[in-house]
Amino acid sequence: MLSEQREQRYRAGLEAALDGGFALLERGGSSLDAVSAAVRILEDDPSFNAGHGAALTRDGAAELDAAIMDGRQLRAGAVASVRHVRNPIELARRVMEKSRHVLLVGAGAEEFALEENFALVPNHYFRTVERQEQLECEQRGQRVSDLVPSAQGTVGAVALDGDGNLAAATSTGGMTNKRPGRVGDSPIIGAGTYAKNGVCAVSATGHGEYFIRAVAAHHVCAAVEYRALSLQQAVRETLHEILAALGGDGGLIAVGTDGQIVMDFSTEGMFRGARDSGGRREIAIY
Amino acid sequence: MSRPKLLALLCLAMAVAPALAIEPRPLAIAIHGGAGVIDAAKMTPQRAASYRAGLAAALDAGYAILERGGSSLDAVTAAVRTMEDDPQFNAGRGAVLNHEGDAELDAAIMDGHGPRAGAVAGVRHVRNPVELARLVMEKSPHVLLVAEGAEEFALEQGMVLVPRGYFRTEARARELDEARQTQALQLKAAAPWATGTVGAVALDRAGHLAAATSTGGLTNKQRGRVGDSPLVGAGTYADDASCAVSGTGQGEFFIRQVVAYDICALLQYRHLTLAQAVREVIHEKLRRSGGEGGVIAVDRSGNIAMDFNSVGMFRGARDSRGRRDIAMYRDAQ
Repeated sequence: MLSEQREQRYRAGLEAALDGGFALLERGGSSLDAVSAAVRILEDDPSFNAGHGAALTRDGAAELDAAIMDGRQLRAGAVASVRHVRNPIELARRVMEKSRHVLLVGAGAEEFALEENFALVPNHYFRTVERQEQLECEQRGQRVSDLVPSAQGTVGAVALDGDGNLAAATSTGGMTNKRPGRVGDSPIIGAGTYAKNGVCAVSATGHGEYFIRAVAAHHVCAAVEYRALSLQQAVRETLHEILAALGGDGGLIAVGTDGQIVMDFSTEGMFRGARDSGGRREIAIY
Repeated sequence: MSRPKLLALLCLAMAVAPALAIEPRPLAIAIHGGAGVIDAAKMTPQRAASYRAGLAAALDAGYAILERGGSSLDAVTAAVRTMEDDPQFNAGRGAVLNHEGDAELDAAIMDGHGPRAGAVAGVRHVRNPVELARLVMEKSPHVLLVAEGAEEFALEQGMVLVPRGYFRTEARARELDEARQTQALQLKAAAPWATGTVGAVALDRAGHLAAATSTGGLTNKQRGRVGDSPLVGAGTYADDASCAVSGTGQGEFFIRQVVAYDICALLQYRHLTLAQAVREVIHEKLRRSGGEGGVIAVDRSGNIAMDFNSVGMFRGARDSRGRRDIAMYRDAQ
C-alpha cells in the first residue's frame, strides 16, 4: 500500500495531466496535442517513471523511450534509449512530423534532436533520490514495492477529439536496473502504442517483453476491427487471456471511435484517470 | 441396398488410410533478399546469376536443416546467416552504409512456439546480427537491445566483435557517394535493390513456425534510424497458431501498418488464406498508404506466399512437395 501522502502526490499528478489534456480537447484542439500535453506533464512530474524521475539502468543512468501515433493516417514517431532529451514525447512527435522515419534510437536520435533545436540536458536531470534508492535496493536483491511505479510504471495517454481523430502516446524509463540498451514495448508501434481512426487508440504499461511478443496494442485494434469485439472485450482478452497465457502482466488504456474509455489491468493496481464530454472525471489507483 | 454403399465406404477408407500413414508432415522454407526497384542496366546476366546462386545457397542451407529433422528456428537462422555473409545482400557483410559511412545493422528472430522473440538494432560490430538476436531471445529476459548496450551483451555472451571495416564493401561505398550527391535517401536509389533486406520463414516437422530478418537499412540513412526488420509485428512475426512472416521494403510504412502481424491476424481472425491475407496487406493496405515492398510468409500447413508491390523481390521457396524455385521479377523469372 502507498502512504497517504504519496497517494496524494500521484493523484495530483494524474489530475494535472488529465486536465491538461482535456482542456486542449475542450477548446477544439487535436487529440494529438492532448496526448502530447498529458504525457509531457507526467514526464515532468518526478513521481512517474518517464522523463524527470525515470527509473535508472544498472549503470545508474536514465534511458528513455517514447512513442506517439496519430490515428488519422497511421502516422507515428518514436525514440528509444535517449539520455539527454527532457521530454522524449516531444522528440517522438518531432520524428513523426519532421523526419521521414518512425523510430530513431540512441545517439542518432539525440543528433536529430540537436538538428531540431532541442536543448539537451545532462543525464542527472532525470535522476531523483528516490530512483537512486530503488536502484540500490534492487541491486542488493531487495524487492521494491510493486505499487511504486518503478519496474513497470510507464505513462501514457489516449484521446478522441471533436473531429473524430484518435491518438495515443506512451513514455517510459523502462525497468529499474535494466540492462543499458534494453528497449521495451512503449516505443514499438503496435506493441505499446497504437492508434487508428475508426477503430481505437491504445497505450500500454507493464512487462514490455510480453507486450512486444503479443503485439498487444495492435492486437486490441485487430480484435475490434476484424472480429467486431467491443473495445472492452478486446482489452480484456489481450490482458487476461493472451498476455496471461504468455505470463506477462500489466495494463492497457484505450479509447474507441465512439469515445468509450476502457482501462483494465492484470496487476494489483494501475495509476489512471479518465475524463470525457459526458461529464465523467475520475482518478483511480486500485 | 445398403451393402454396396458400405463396400464403397470401406474402399474409400482403405484408399485414404495408407495415404495418411505415409504422408509426413510438410516442410517449407521461403527466403527473400530484398524488394525494390531494379536498375536493368546494372543487372547483367552475370550479376543475376550471382544473386541466384546466393539465394540458392541460403535456401538449401535452411532446407537441409529442416530435412534432417532440425527446427524451423535453426533453418531460418542458417538461411539468414548465409545471406549476411554474402556481400551482395544488404545485411551483415556488404550492408549499406549510413550517412557517416558505417554499417548499422538490425535483425530479429521469432519462434512461433511460445511465441518468443529476440532483436537487435543499431549494432555496428556484430558479424551476424541474426545470431545476436537469437542470443537475446534465448539468453536474456529481453526482446530488443539496441546500439552499445546490444554489443555489451554480445561480449558478455562471448561473441567476437569485428571492426566496422569488415562490413564495408567498395560497391556500398560507391552507392553512399552517389546517394550523398543526389541526397537520395529513398527506395528508388541509383543502386539496384538499395533496400535489399534479407529474411527467411520456415515450417518444421514438429509443426513449429519461425521467422528471421536482417538488414543494413537504407543507404545514407540518418544514424540511429531503425526500420521494420527488428520490430516484432512490423517486419518479423511468427506464431504457431497462424503464420510466419518476414518483410522487406520501405520500413516506416511496415511499422505503421504492423504488416507482419496484420497478415497473421487476418489469417487467424478473418479466416483468409495466407495468399489472400498477404495480398490484402501488400496490395491494398500498404499500397494505399504509399508504401512499397514485399513479404514472404508460410502457414501451419506449409503454404508459402511471396508477394510484393514493387518491381521485383529476390526470393526463393522450397518444400517437401518438391517445389524449389528462385525468382526475382513478377513473372517468377
